[in-house]
Amino acid sequence: MDEAIESLRKEALAALEACRDPAALSEFRVAYLGRNGAVKGLLGRLSELPPEERPAFGRDANLLKRELEEAFAAREKEMGGSGGGDADAVDITIPGRRLPRGHFHPVSLVMDEICGTFSAMGFEIAEGPDVETDFYNFEALNIPAHHPARDMHDTFYVSESILLRTHTSPMQVRAMEERKPPLRMIAPGKVYRCDSDVTHTPMFHQVEGFLVDESVSFADLKGVLSLFITRTFSPDTPIRFRPSFFPFTEPSAEVDIGCVICGGGGCRVCKQTGWLEILGAGMIDPEVFRSVGYDPEEVSGFAFGLGVERIAMLKYGINDLRLFYENDRRFIEQF
Amino acid sequence: MKFTLSWLREYVDHGLSADRLAAGLTMAGLEVDSVEELGAGLDQVVIARVEAVEPHPSADRLHVCRVNDGEGELQIVCGAANVRPGMNAVLARIGAELPGGFRIKKAKLRGVESFGMLCSEAELGLAEEARGIMEVEDALVPGVPVAEALGLADTMIEVDLTPNRADCASVIGIAREVAAFSGAELKRPAVRGPRFADQAPFSVGIDDYGLCPRYCGCLIRGVKVGPSPWWLAKRLLSVGLRPINNVVDITNYVMLEQGQPLHAFDFARIEGGGVVARPAREGEKIVTLDGRERELSAGMLVIADSRGPVAVAGVMGGEGSQVSENTVDILLESACFSPVSVRRTARNLNLATDSSYRFERGVDPGNTAAALSRAVDLILEICGGRVDGALDVKEGEFRGASLRLRPERCNRLLGTALSPDDIAGMLAAIGMECRTAAGGALEVTVPTFRIDIEREVDLIEEVARLVGYDRIGETLPKVTLAPARESGERLFRLKAARAMVAAGFLEAVNYSFVSPDHREKLGLEADDGLMVRLLNPLAEEQSVMRTSLLPGLLANLAHNLNRQSEGVRLFEVGKVFFSRGPDVQPDENTRMAAVMAGRRTDGAPVLHYGREQMDFFDASGAVEWFLDFMGYEADAPEWDSSVPFGRGGAAAVRVNGVRAGSCGGFDPEVLRRFGIKQPAWFLDIDLDLLMGVKKKERSFRPLPKFPAVFRDIAVILPQQTPAAALMDAVAKGGGGLLERAEIFDVFTGRNVEPGKKSVAVRLVFRSGNSTLKDKQVNRALDGILKVISAELGGKLRES
Repeated sequence: MDEAIESLRKEALAALEACRDPAALSEFRVAYLGRNGAVKGLLGRLSELPPEERPAFGRDANLLKRELEEAFAAREKEMGGSGGGDADAVDITIPGRRLPRGHFHPVSLVMDEICGTFSAMGFEIAEGPDVETDFYNFEALNIPAHHPARDMHDTFYVSESILLRTHTSPMQVRAMEERKPPLRMIAPGKVYRCDSDVTHTPMFHQVEGFLVDESVSFADLKGVLSLFITRTFSPDTPIRFRPSFFPFTEPSAEVDIGCVICGGGGCRVCKQTGWLEILGAGMIDPEVFRSVGYDPEEVSGFAFGLGVERIAMLKYGINDLRLFYENDRRFIEQF
Repeated sequence: MKFTLSWLREYVDHGLSADRLAAGLTMAGLEVDSVEELGAGLDQVVIARVEAVEPHPSADRLHVCRVNDGEGELQIVCGAANVRPGMNAVLARIGAELPGGFRIKKAKLRGVESFGMLCSEAELGLAEEARGIMEVEDALVPGVPVAEALGLADTMIEVDLTPNRADCASVIGIAREVAAFSGAELKRPAVRGPRFADQAPFSVGIDDYGLCPRYCGCLIRGVKVGPSPWWLAKRLLSVGLRPINNVVDITNYVMLEQGQPLHAFDFARIEGGGVVARPAREGEKIVTLDGRERELSAGMLVIADSRGPVAVAGVMGGEGSQVSENTVDILLESACFSPVSVRRTARNLNLATDSSYRFERGVDPGNTAAALSRAVDLILEICGGRVDGALDVKEGEFRGASLRLRPERCNRLLGTALSPDDIAGMLAAIGMECRTAAGGALEVTVPTFRIDIEREVDLIEEVARLVGYDRIGETLPKVTLAPARESGERLFRLKAARAMVAAGFLEAVNYSFVSPDHREKLGLEADDGLMVRLLNPLAEEQSVMRTSLLPGLLANLAHNLNRQSEGVRLFEVGKVFFSRGPDVQPDENTRMAAVMAGRRTDGAPVLHYGREQMDFFDASGAVEWFLDFMGYEADAPEWDSSVPFGRGGAAAVRVNGVRAGSCGGFDPEVLRRFGIKQPAWFLDIDLDLLMGVKKKERSFRPLPKFPAVFRDIAVILPQQTPAAALMDAVAKGGGGLLERAEIFDVFTGRNVEPGKKSVAVRLVFRSGNSTLKDKQVNRALDGILKVISAELGGKLRES
């Protein structure tokens, strides 16, 4: 190829690259592709060449012209112009070429976060069947038939002795039956209660956990759960432990956090108390230890349970429990 | 359990504000559910005397009254039948706002102006319902605010009692706790009561002391049944009980005060002059106080006279022997019944009452006679009459348990450092006496009202409560380091969800129970034996455990499409359930399923991606992506025409020869049943099965050193020849130099004879030890074309 053509090509492409706005682009066109532009000038020199070189030179010059025109058009398009000389620069506010994103359900997100926090403290994660026996769900947890505590669990029955678990605590019993202390374990999963209204769904998610060793105290329970709460919410979350009752723990506690909606001043969500109940806990009852063959004089431990939806609602400010099970994409895509 | 501040103050002078009291109760384990100001907002509501009543000129039921409100006379239109001149009533002046939020304005009723309203108990928020306007004592002075005149200003507190605290199902029980944490003294009402003797003009029998450990009865003759005095009625109203008559009201009042349910029988209606507590006989019937006839079954405890049951013990009295205006002699019952028996009976009769609530939790057997005495005192005072004998039938004395409490065990379990004296001092505040026993332990005598305290650990809980949970420190446990076992199933499931989210799907979570027809809707056989049915579902559409994830996802798909979503991709990882027979736990199978419909790239800019709709390859592509992400290599899919919800079947998903699921398009009829009117696609994979399949080996292959040579060919093949067959032929013919091959176009129509298709394939050749020469590549290509020709009858397309 003729050196003159090649050097013009390099020069022109560099000049085109240097164009930063439509005005410069316009100047480029005049300078290189215009009626009196450099390419035209090149063709004008055709007559100066020896006849045998003319066809090759002519072809190369025309190729260059086409290349530059294409490069110019591409550059112009890049700047967002539609062919007019006054087109704007690239419209960076047009959405980028992204692909649709997938989303986890908020229950999964919160459940994983809870499991992660306990996992980091050395707790194992165990799972069990959703359809349980009366023995593991109630009897072994010190909730005999005809105990008023069964009122706290509105149970779905499959048969006289088979039911949908009302909590994931049966895992506690199964694990202790199989193994010896020390044990620290959490059991996440779906649980079922036959109750359905604005604040209850017949299925929801729980994470229950327990820790058993030679000498575990109520102060340890407070320490571990406070750590969990401050990790899940914020380090300055107010926490309150107060006496309660569960048949499988003694002493039993309910744990409240300062209302995240009103900041403790009192609102509709916290029923004006400034506190929100987020988990139940307690020292494992000696009867439970006895039912799995542990000696309550030798070991002690604590257990706790929390509702995942409740924590998700508080964390994200979700105001309607039913949203969790409609699977509306406008809901799921928020998380 | 509801009570008011003024009522509580009769037994303990705690000096606390309502808020401080509520906080104290909550921290003592008696969670305050609500605090409500009674008589609030009744500023412009006053006592008024009705001076004159004239009929309304144009309405039969209305009266035009002249009413003295202490400041002057007002004209009031009133519709109540009981309005009459000279009565003292309650007037809501113009501007008053009643508890329901109703604001009183000057009104014109059928052309007559009214300057206020005469109120009923219901309108004042004192009762659920009322007949006519409220009538108040004549002695009250017109113009005095009603809240002041009637002593309405009070604070109602409701405590959510845990099942163990039966002792606090009474105002005195609450007062005992308040006394303990406030340091104030508990004052019990002074009681005289009747003299209990061995003989009385009536008889009491107990068939089974296990079911009824104690029965006290008292015969009172000559009572005058009538409305209760205001102070008594007000107490009941303030906690939501409807006053009935003075005798019944007193039994309710004492129940609320003492926690001991009582019952009064009309003695004239008791056949044979006495009662017996005995199990019901099969087929016996009783009409209870609520007017309903109830069939009793053997095992239910009843109170019976010589003819038959007169009360369901501890649950509800019988209509036939209830105290009415004509009653003269009453037999008053205060008894103790077995919690389990009352609970079972109440359950079976589906009848929960204030009485059964208390008996189920346990009633203090040491207080049976004292509560009866309290009621007798009040009846004699309010209803008149005289005692004609009282009996206290029991087997022995009721003494509280004596328990050993080791202070060091207490401290170890709580993480505290309390001295034995600290502990004894705290327990004494709730009526538990402590003596030091051998070895430094404390010997604690538990009062009979704390039936929940049976073990050392129960005492330790009391100590924790009395110390205050907030004053116990926080420590982290010192535990033995042990490796945490991780559930492989869970990690597998989490990874499956991650795979789908990474592929742009949204995670759904559906209820595990579905409608029994979910199988039919999918076109699956409706095998009853397969499904796990709930005995007590909340609704028919939540009455069986799901056997597929697809119905839930299809419902979600319809939900989203109905809400103008252009394209939806949802997945769920969850269990399905298959019965293994009655009374055994079912088989629980974890699956991953997904549904998709509409615009392929919804959520991404139309500007860049257009509005292309999803097709079969979105489903099969998702399966390929999923399996690859999970570390599996899929076998070539095969068509399975037996998948009933698929459109003519579905592609079987196979991994290492194991059938792990299927994918494809839904049958339009199935979609129609879920209310979906556009094509939709699915995949459904058995994760339990997949987890057992061997994964693709992960081993390093060195990166190639020499360049590859690319050749594109177009092959004319019979229309039915699957792409996989072509790729197999290519692989077979290509030999060692063929690195990979990829179909990049499939074409029929112009220039392709009918019944044939043109498949364009890019072939990539490479040698591991030299740069390939044209000759080598041509030889390999020839080999490929030969196999295609021989095995598939295909030939190179002439361009």
